[in-house]
Amino acid sequence: MSNLFRFWMYCYRLSVPSYMDSTSTAVADYAAFLEKVKRTVYVDNLSPQVTESVIRTALGQFGTVKNVQFIPNYTGPKNIPCCALVEMECLRQAEAVVSEITQFPFMMSGMPRPARAFRAEVEMFDDRPIKPGRRIQCRWVDRKDPDFEVASKIKRLVRKHAAEDLFLLQQQLAQEEKLAKQQEETLKANYKKFSIIDNVVSDGTAPGLAKFYNMKAFDS
Amino acid sequence: MVEAKKVENIEFKWGKQRGVGGKKKDVKFYESFSYDHVEYALYDSVYMYEEGETEPYIAKLMKIWENADETKKVKVLWFFCPREISNYLGDEKTPENELFLASGEGVGSTNVNPLEAIAGKCNVVCSSKDSRNRQPSDEELQEADFVFYRTFDVGNCRILDKIDDKIAGIEVKFLLNRVGNQSSSGVPKLDSNKKVSGNVVATNDTRILTRTESNLGEKATSSSRVEFNEVTKLNDWLVDNSGEMASSSSKVEQISDIKPSLANQKSSPGENSASNLGLGEMTKDNKKEGIPSDIIASSSKDDVSWSESKVDKVFAYQVLVEEKAKVAKDSGDLDDRPSKKAKLDDLAKASYDNKVTGVQKVSHDSNGSNSKSVAQTTPASEDKSKSNPTKDHHENNSSLSKRPKPDEKLTRLANGKFPEASLRQPSEEGSKTNCQIQEVTRRPEADRSKWFRGLPWEERMQTAHEQETLVLLQNLDPSYTSAEVEDIIWHAFKQSCTVKMIQRTALASPHSGQAFVIFQKREVAEMAVAKLDEGCLMLSNGRPVVGSIAAPCFPGKQSTFFGHLVINKLRTHKQREMKEAVSTSHCSQPNTLEYEMAMDWCLLQERSDLALRKLRQQQRQELRKLWVTLKCK
Repeated sequence: MSNLFRFWMYCYRLSVPSYMDSTSTAVADYAAFLEKVKRTVYVDNLSPQVTESVIRTALGQFGTVKNVQFIPNYTGPKNIPCCALVEMECLRQAEAVVSEITQFPFMMSGMPRPARAFRAEVEMFDDRPIKPGRRIQCRWVDRKDPDFEVASKIKRLVRKHAAEDLFLLQQQLAQEEKLAKQQEETLKANYKKFSIIDNVVSDGTAPGLAKFYNMKAFDS
Repeated sequence: MVEAKKVENIEFKWGKQRGVGGKKKDVKFYESFSYDHVEYALYDSVYMYEEGETEPYIAKLMKIWENADETKKVKVLWFFCPREISNYLGDEKTPENELFLASGEGVGSTNVNPLEAIAGKCNVVCSSKDSRNRQPSDEELQEADFVFYRTFDVGNCRILDKIDDKIAGIEVKFLLNRVGNQSSSGVPKLDSNKKVSGNVVATNDTRILTRTESNLGEKATSSSRVEFNEVTKLNDWLVDNSGEMASSSSKVEQISDIKPSLANQKSSPGENSASNLGLGEMTKDNKKEGIPSDIIASSSKDDVSWSESKVDKVFAYQVLVEEKAKVAKDSGDLDDRPSKKAKLDDLAKASYDNKVTGVQKVSHDSNGSNSKSVAQTTPASEDKSKSNPTKDHHENNSSLSKRPKPDEKLTRLANGKFPEASLRQPSEEGSKTNCQIQEVTRRPEADRSKWFRGLPWEERMQTAHEQETLVLLQNLDPSYTSAEVEDIIWHAFKQSCTVKMIQRTALASPHSGQAFVIFQKREVAEMAVAKLDEGCLMLSNGRPVVGSIAAPCFPGKQSTFFGHLVINKLRTHKQREMKEAVSTSHCSQPNTLEYEMAMDWCLLQERSDLALRKLRQQQRQELRKLWVTLKCK
């Protein structure tokens, strides 16, 4: 270990304590933020046509919606559904939203794909305050440090994981597309069936035939 | 109600008399009494057993007296369990052990019953934030049999959050948590049930027992502490077990003499607890405690807290088949092989996957820094907290991260994303000096940058992308904020920049946080990326930062959203007439076509979720394998 010491000549240890200039306000802020997180619902599987007002009306059925914030998608594949953070007035309303949406398929701005809702988490928020009392450290790892190898491996692994994630997402999208197409076919077929029946009844063919055969159906 | 003749053999003794009353002054009122070796006092919460009912009711003793003809009566104020008032609760999901105190004027809030109907003492803690209520400690809350903070008004049939001044003629402050001597917290929870089961009630023992089992889930945590507590006469139950462990050895001897007596108590009314499963592992360390392993096997579902002052009561209880967590703890901790405990806990959970409110179980698991990951993939470093198997077995481990881990080893980022890893490296203090570590503090211009918000992020990102100054960082701790990342960059590169931490979505990886960084110049950006690539910037928790030139995708007017179907013919109609009509948001009804289609989507979603979960698990394992080999974190 002492050998390594020699290599590391610099030992920055900045003595300034971390972000806590005004500890109490930071703590209070963070606590308030956490409270807000608890009241917020993360809604997923939204169509891009869903706007803020749609969400407000939709979730306004459960209580008061205080704030709606969409989470923009900068990294993922293009076609993944949108998501948003909806801040409700109180914890109970947030829980009600989540439980309703998970129990029943909730349609927003289109059918039949339901939206999803979860309780929000801290990392979903954009402008979050710093957690008080947190101290971060960083260092440049020397090549000769045995950790360097491991670190490189980790880096490679991270990239691999990112690629895996992307792949999985794309697979999911493909499946969704397939299902949507399938459902569209079914829908069209059903629609055709119903419209034929409708036409036949409305233009008199069916009642006429019924009379001919002495059946009592189609007496509108 | 119970007939008097069955009660003849039960011990009874009056406590402090309160006064006399009644027409002829021959009715004596009391403040306390001892029944079947259990002490009861006014305003205690008790179980009331009714013949024919499978579950006992819970009530508060409001008045205790003895009539002239020597019959003993109690007036009780009822607690309602959520089941009983489910109509008024609606859809709300209440925790299993929440109760509602009866209040208001009307039938059903209080009753007079013979004293013999009392089936045991119950630990009900009031968790209301009312100023008159002594706030219970976390331990008390966890160990309580039941919790209440709301009342149910029997007159209006409504659930009230606010507590009145008087309920049933008694000032509310008596009904809330007691101050000072926590005699209520020392209540022998539910155990008296088992005791009583043999005596008072003519009904089936097992019925009460089943009820106790159902409550056990909540009390699982306290199980192990029981032994320690009663011996040491401590009042606080939920001692952090890891901390206790050192001192536990001294307690072992004291406990050991209790244990043998436990041996006599075996009785398993047919419950085959999966503790048998755990038995295999539990062989060790029995000598230390003086517990033969078969005792553990047969030790029953004992429920939790025994009044510390009544050690002898322990012997009286019928020990049922139990949730091994407790057993596991005893042997496991003292032997310093907590992995077993964790494993047993998992087994316990897996087998009793009803009502095991995993929360407390999990917190029990997390047993401080000593639990090992039973997955046995990790080396026996005592710093790795457990729960790999736990995670696999039981999904309700979200509470894991909530466990209040004392962050004593500072300069350690409690990585919330690795719930199993609250890294507590005892060696870290030493290693810090060896690994040239920089502490990241606010960079000098931090405050200045607040002044100019500048353009909205998207535009800046766009321009940055065009100018090639946009860099994507990966493998950050997901809980960092943008400001923190800016500071990191400052310390690492001596460059100031703007950072936007990417918000996590449901699909994003919990292991690796990402951020966009806009440097000031293209060369700087390229330099940074190169440096990150060739060198290695290591953050706390063994996270080497991965950087690359970013290729963001800008959310345009994406038109393809799979899943919203429209019927084409109707669309033409719409365009003309119904443009203003807004599609309403609603819950789909089960008898429609759209509902069935929605179900298809739900199924697909579940599948995707499962796949994603599996992927995350795998990724986590891969990361851990490497991460473990890092010497200096």
